[in-house]
Amino acid sequence: MPQTITEKILSRVIGRAVTPGEIIYPEPDLITTHDWYVVNFDSALQALGVDRLYAPEKLLISTDHEPVAVSRQAAERQHAVRAIVRKYGIEHFYDVGRGGHGHIFPMELGYVAPGMLVLAYDPHVTNYGAVGCLGVSLVVEISEVLACGSAWIRVPDTVRVNLQGTLQPGVTVRDVAQRMIVDLGSDLVDYTVVEFGGPALAAIDVDRRMTLCNTPVEIGAKSSLFETDQITEAWLKPRIGDRFEHIRSDPGANYKAAIDYGLGLIEPQVAAPPTPDNVVGVSTVAGTKVDYAFIGSCANSSLADLRDAARILRGRKVSAGVRLIVTPGTQQIAAEAAAEGLVKVFIDAGAVLTAPGCGPCAGGRIGPLAPGEVSINTGTRNDPGRLGPRDADIYLASPLTVAASAVMGRISDPREFVH
Amino acid sequence: MELNYRGRCWKFGDNVGVDGDMMPLEFALQRETRLDVLAPYAMTGLDPDFPQKVRSHDIVVGGKRFAQGNPHIQGLLGLAAHNVGLVCESIPRGSLRNALNAGLPLLPACPGITQRLESGDELEVDFRSGRVRNLTQNWEQTFDPLPAALLDIILAGGWQPALKRRVEEMLARGAAQPT
Repeated sequence: MPQTITEKILSRVIGRAVTPGEIIYPEPDLITTHDWYVVNFDSALQALGVDRLYAPEKLLISTDHEPVAVSRQAAERQHAVRAIVRKYGIEHFYDVGRGGHGHIFPMELGYVAPGMLVLAYDPHVTNYGAVGCLGVSLVVEISEVLACGSAWIRVPDTVRVNLQGTLQPGVTVRDVAQRMIVDLGSDLVDYTVVEFGGPALAAIDVDRRMTLCNTPVEIGAKSSLFETDQITEAWLKPRIGDRFEHIRSDPGANYKAAIDYGLGLIEPQVAAPPTPDNVVGVSTVAGTKVDYAFIGSCANSSLADLRDAARILRGRKVSAGVRLIVTPGTQQIAAEAAAEGLVKVFIDAGAVLTAPGCGPCAGGRIGPLAPGEVSINTGTRNDPGRLGPRDADIYLASPLTVAASAVMGRISDPREFVH
Repeated sequence: MELNYRGRCWKFGDNVGVDGDMMPLEFALQRETRLDVLAPYAMTGLDPDFPQKVRSHDIVVGGKRFAQGNPHIQGLLGLAAHNVGLVCESIPRGSLRNALNAGLPLLPACPGITQRLESGDELEVDFRSGRVRNLTQNWEQTFDPLPAALLDIILAGGWQPALKRRVEEMLARGAAQPT
């Protein structure tokens, strides 16, 4: 039977051919959680009388939600996390100053390979799909995986998206990602894995594939992933060597739907409050005054994203009365941004850099908004309260649009800056 | 546990929100999970009288994307607290997991059903077979039931009791944990 990538991965993991719709208990190749769900899983395990992890060698913990503790509560939590890590003998622990964002650095460091199954606490583990890995979030049920080795998942259908055409100047993959979830719609995507392929892949690097894999979960997708190609191979080979193997769906694999998606007609897109799929063309909201801009999050904190932002910020200043926060995704990205001179561009423009990780996007614990303020940023979500107070408006956009808006002090079309 | 419910229909439309419609958001932010605390607020965003009027084994019927929004469990716990069943046209992935975690019997995929019944209709729903009978309008239709593995979670009373049972079985087997 011809199989999709997802069916191949789940079949390998459970040792027989799977059928969409069936319930399986797969043991993942890797498990991830972050600093805000360590004390909690420890409590859950203690309540069950479990004092060992089923497979501690599979667990990777990242201190990315609040890397620099900015409250006594956070400092005490970090202290507790370190003790729990020692207690269970967790080897793959990336504390502040080590890895960075847990949806990004494990790919840089060779933890993630095509064809792997990763189960995680956090929803945006789907980023790993950028290199052909299936990442699925279970939220609190990750405790069951830690205690017993697996938890149930339903074998999902796949929606195939064939990307075609080329992007217009000033338009980025983030704009495509935002528009696409509206065009696909939750009725189609719910419970499915969105699988990307098509001729446009040749122009989309791994950094930008993460952005495309980050978004479908907002409308109910189980995960999203790319088939592998020469770009994946070139990026991963230095990191995982002989563990690299291509993974693609078989010809004739059964898709719930196969859609050709053109990149050329899209203009810069902005998600207006209050949800990520409330997406409009930038012209609709252009001119809205902003107080706050942020470039980062697991959706847009790669080197490619920082280069985009620097294209606009180089030689310009952030508008008076606007604060711009830049959060590189990982330690490695921060170092490369410094080596390339991007960090100097940001500092000269009047931006501030924060520690690698989620940045303000993790609930606004770092750099929150004040009530009544307006932010434009590259975060993952814009629900009321995402950056602190509920009565603050959050617009989501590409690094280009956010940088242009920071310079102008109002939501602005980046095509006025880049031609 | 009995999985055949007979009671009155409480019909709601499409896109019922788990936060606000089904339960005030504050309870999610407080991570409140006590059933007695949540019960008086169940569905009050759409029907303030629901908690007073609903009876055990009544059936809540939702349209498409029932319990949509951030996958907070509180709205589903609110229904479970009243010992009702849930039948809906569709439910997002996170809320399906939360319904099971709350031990709420449900039929998650009943396309078109909201066209065939009204609030107050007398319904009989067998969550094991997927059969829905409308005794008021005199029809019967069978939908896909939950797979047996997920019915087991409901029969156990939800995720935590099911996990407790799994762990106890695992520990009883002794060597199940490799480290």
